[in-house]
Amino acid sequence: MALKVYDKLKHSIRYYFLRTLPTCQQTVEQISQSMERSLSIRERIRLKLHLWICVWCQWYFEQLHIMRQTARAKADESADLISRRGLSDEARERIRRRLTNQN
Amino acid sequence: MHYSIAQISMNEPQGISPSESPDPGRWLDDHGDYLFRYAVFRLRDDNAAEDAVQETFLAALKAYRQFEGRGSERTWLVGILKHKIIDHFRRAVREAPLGEESEDGPEHREFFERPEPWDGHWNANYAPTDWQTTPAELIERNDFWKVFSDCLSPLPQRTASAFTLREVDGLKSEEICELLSIKVNNLWVMLHRARLHLRNCLELNWFKYQP
Repeated sequence: MALKVYDKLKHSIRYYFLRTLPTCQQTVEQISQSMERSLSIRERIRLKLHLWICVWCQWYFEQLHIMRQTARAKADESADLISRRGLSDEARERIRRRLTNQN
Repeated sequence: MHYSIAQISMNEPQGISPSESPDPGRWLDDHGDYLFRYAVFRLRDDNAAEDAVQETFLAALKAYRQFEGRGSERTWLVGILKHKIIDHFRRAVREAPLGEESEDGPEHREFFERPEPWDGHWNANYAPTDWQTTPAELIERNDFWKVFSDCLSPLPQRTASAFTLREVDGLKSEEICELLSIKVNNLWVMLHRARLHLRNCLELNWFKYQP
């Protein structure tokens, strides 16, 4: 019985927050901004509360940070991992000629 | 990006022996493809990347006496290339003034519910799922980068470049704004759209597609 009341209460609180806090669409934009500047106290609280009740936005938040950390860890090698495509023969010859003239 | 070529000391030995004279032909063979890939990932334009590589070698020839074989040749050349990439952005901005905000990238409104009662909340078809991974795990997966880059390619060139400079090279917001000569709010819109798009694309093409 007590558990049922608790569940109902939890549901109501969650529902109340979902209706009053910024929407997910606004929240993901806020998440992106939080990676660019420090949010105000009010913004931070509203973001935290939204993440607390919304697992989707919580994953979104984590995944943006996963993307950043992964990307920065391989900054210098990443281009090499993406493709093995190098200079075209034509470009290579053009650059070679230019360098020989210079030397 | 580091600004390293300015830091080289001037007290080099006089008279460079023949074996130490620069060999741009070999540079081209050893590093040309690597530098090209590095530039194309950031500039997202083959011609611009070829030019940047050529300018890098020309600058390297001039600056060779300052290099004196300190550190790795490739690191030295990449350091010069970074400057050439920055020069390219500066020039491009001067030559072609910026377009409309609609060129910042797709808004992806379809990711979110319309209309009430859940207006603006995730549409279940596009909502994030649990990736169950860590950066440490992803870093080991070299094939991840191909998907990462493919996912960036439908974005407008400027947005993809801004995203790469920010999230891969770790440049500061202000530096990128200065480079692309845009306002910071505009940059934030571009980065937000790039992230929204990339996250969804990675999820579809990497996390849900794992064998």
